[in-house]
Amino acid sequence: MAGKARDDPRAWLAVEETAAAFLSGSLSSRPPIILPPPLHRASLRPGNVVEIAGPSNSGKSHLLLMAAVQCILPKEWEGIYFGGLGKAVMYFDLDCRFDVLRLAQILRNHIAESCSSAHLRSGDLENDGTKDELQRSFENTLLSDCMQRFLYVRCCNSSEFIAALETLHSRSRSEILGVCIYFVMIDSIGTFYWMDRGSQSVRENKGKSLQGFTETIVQEIRRFLQLQPALVLVTKAPIYGEDTTTANDFNRGSSKYMLDDPTVLRHSRHGEERTLSSREYMPSIWQSFVTHRINLQVEEAEFSSMLESEVLSTHTSEWVQPSLKTKEKFSIVDGGVVLVQ
Amino acid sequence: MEERMNQDQRSTEGRCGRFWNGMDLLKDVTGSKHFLPTGLEGVDTLLGGGLRQGQLTEVTGPSSSGKTQFCLHSASHVAAKHMGVVMYLDTSNSFSPSRIATIIDGTPGLFCQRGSQSTIFLPFFLPLSYGFDLQPKDVRLKNIMRSIICESVFDVFALSEVLHQLEVSLLNDKEKNGGSRICLLIIDSISSLLAPIIGGKYPQGRAMMISVAMILKKLADEHNLAVLVTNHMVSAGNGAVKPALGESWKAVPHVRLVISRDRGSNICTATVLKHTLLASGRTTKFVVPS
Repeated sequence: MAGKARDDPRAWLAVEETAAAFLSGSLSSRPPIILPPPLHRASLRPGNVVEIAGPSNSGKSHLLLMAAVQCILPKEWEGIYFGGLGKAVMYFDLDCRFDVLRLAQILRNHIAESCSSAHLRSGDLENDGTKDELQRSFENTLLSDCMQRFLYVRCCNSSEFIAALETLHSRSRSEILGVCIYFVMIDSIGTFYWMDRGSQSVRENKGKSLQGFTETIVQEIRRFLQLQPALVLVTKAPIYGEDTTTANDFNRGSSKYMLDDPTVLRHSRHGEERTLSSREYMPSIWQSFVTHRINLQVEEAEFSSMLESEVLSTHTSEWVQPSLKTKEKFSIVDGGVVLVQ
Repeated sequence: MEERMNQDQRSTEGRCGRFWNGMDLLKDVTGSKHFLPTGLEGVDTLLGGGLRQGQLTEVTGPSSSGKTQFCLHSASHVAAKHMGVVMYLDTSNSFSPSRIATIIDGTPGLFCQRGSQSTIFLPFFLPLSYGFDLQPKDVRLKNIMRSIICESVFDVFALSEVLHQLEVSLLNDKEKNGGSRICLLIIDSISSLLAPIIGGKYPQGRAMMISVAMILKKLADEHNLAVLVTNHMVSAGNGAVKPALGESWKAVPHVRLVISRDRGSNICTATVLKHTLLASGRTTKFVVPS
């Protein structure tokens, strides 16, 4: 459609279509995406920007990996149904903690699960001795095929991140990549917050500020999305603990008050904890760029129950934007996510 | 074309900013990122094999819970097994060569399973009449000690300086230190350097902390170092304790391990707070040999 418009804008303007035709057109060009739970509640489309917020260990990166696996798995492969999207993922690793073995582990689990359920259906379980070797090479081929669709770049500061976004943009335009990127993932967006804020006052004239960096980042992602409709998934970790008393852009006044009287926080710790740890620190340009927001929490495992070594910690998720009033509980297991009722 | 672009990027930006695909990453990890066993039974199983090259492992725990012992033990084990050179950055004068000697002495396994490297080097140091088994203790000890480089670092600026020098030397001379490369970097304790600069109302302290973290992780990834740092614990209110350095640091380590020592004994309990590959919350007991 974009190509047509460029050729002859008048013709594009002149076209009259009914709402139904428009809807079906846009539904087919940008079909809704159903992500694995607990991200399945909101209806997402390419072009949306989803922010997954939550403290460390609440499962943010895990949800990213689950979504990545869904994206790079094919829908069907040699007659076996995998239910994936068969498209490419671009993963920006800002906090440099991505573990490729974890991705391979989740992917292998998925492949093995789908295979075994397919074999169960066709009922050939008896001759597993001879099939083992064949099966393994089949799974490895599929794994490497999927991993080829996973693109990864690690960035150590905001300038590198922006450079990587520019490269992505110029590359996808010249179509060297050869694959269509459907999910863009950023883990995690606030990583360089302190570095950018710190540089702000030191090199006021030549260096860019946090605001400037964020503007450029948003602009670059927008440019990329115009070219290639993709779903953007971003994680965001809190940078303030429940009792850090730092000044920040949003509440200089109140933080001064907190500095004077730290006991205020101690007394109302329980109520304050949540609000403080999920306090927004990204510049407003980023906040308005985000279209969907989900908050994760983890129920801290008690130190007293340490002896039961296989206790699963419970995570809760809550959509904030759009505001769905339901909270969902889930646990992270090797194969993925299990919803707890 | 794609290859050329990748090469262009590699020459200008190193590994950061380079586009990888999943298979390249997997090959890199299985090929050059190994687990370095700490030699502490139980802990290695808990960590899935030990300290992983390319990752930053944090050991935290209350005062005198055995954090320094953990570091000394890992250092001696890695050095004695000839896995590579260990760089030990000591911030509180807690590095103890005599302790390392005791650890090496006390673990007979460390001498029995000599790597092939040592058998090549031994004749240069010894008269021919010595068999390998008759090799004097102090010579063996000297060889092991030679592959532990200890440096005292007392503030964050000195740390930046040391890390910068390390990066330059790793880049320039990949065959330094008699053919064996640095494979383990220990900072005991990083929190004593970072805690004084964070907090307050200016962001520069935290900016510096995150910069140090990024340098460490970059070094770990590009030069296949396992990085081990220790962190102390502070009060979290209600009598509970939590690792120091706050919420921003929480997102830094790949693996976070908390250890505590039973009162009056040398049995420690280790709990995984965070791991990139394995479930967290698992726990084990291990003995710090006295």
